[in-house]
Amino acid sequence: MFTTRRGLLVGAAVLAAAGCTETPAKIIDSDDDLTTALRRARALSRAAEALGYDDVAADHLAHAATLERLLLPRSVGDGDAEEPIADAVALAEAETAASGEAREACLTTTGDYAVLFGEIAASRAAHAAVIA
Amino acid sequence: MTPVDTGLAGEYAAIYAYGTAAVHLSGALRDLAEALEAEHRDRRDALLGFYDGHGLEAAPAQPSYDIAPIEDAETAQALLLDVEERLATAWRAGVASEDHAEREICLNMLVECAKALARWRIALGSSAAEPWPGRPAD
Repeated sequence: MFTTRRGLLVGAAVLAAAGCTETPAKIIDSDDDLTTALRRARALSRAAEALGYDDVAADHLAHAATLERLLLPRSVGDGDAEEPIADAVALAEAETAASGEAREACLTTTGDYAVLFGEIAASRAAHAAVIA
Repeated sequence: MTPVDTGLAGEYAAIYAYGTAAVHLSGALRDLAEALEAEHRDRRDALLGFYDGHGLEAAPAQPSYDIAPIEDAETAQALLLDVEERLATAWRAGVASEDHAEREICLNMLVECAKALARWRIALGSSAAEPWPGRPAD
């Protein structure tokens, strides 16, 4: 019936409005964090691939694919252009910063997405550790 | 048991495993094992600080732990990699906690596990990449 996350949330709200649950549905507003994480994953993937870190790029693509699925049916563009990542040092710094973003999202979201953001934060931190 | 209890028990076991297995390694792998054992001790201490800070009582370490037999460097490496993977899985589970302090310390530990795993994989000549640290295999 509700085959996407958004559909599920909308469905829950509809059921609540119809008096079908005792407590109001809580709409999870994590789309901004998911969108930020998706754009960051795409940018890091491009940078890692350009610098020859194909396995790291593959991790970011895996993150991006999952985040895109969670944001369906919304389609997310790449956003504003970012500073180019020119070398391994800059990539490690970008991975560290992106890990921090995901960490913050993990600590401020509901439990449903906390593990996802935590995994992404840990993966990015590991990239930074080995690239550095 | 809370997720932090489970993780602390895992850190105790990791320290024991490193102490038992590291002597079977040499060179860069021995150096890495000793460095990671020290990091696990630091993490144990940080966890004990967490218990103190929250007025909780931490379980003590066991005198010994049941670990796979170590016959040579290869089995020592396999054991230590397995220990790190299991620990990452334990800490990842704790990240789902709705208790903020508990989630935060579990996240900190998951991040450190992911770094340790990446270092082990590189030392063993494989890719450090892992998109979902701690996620159990299907």
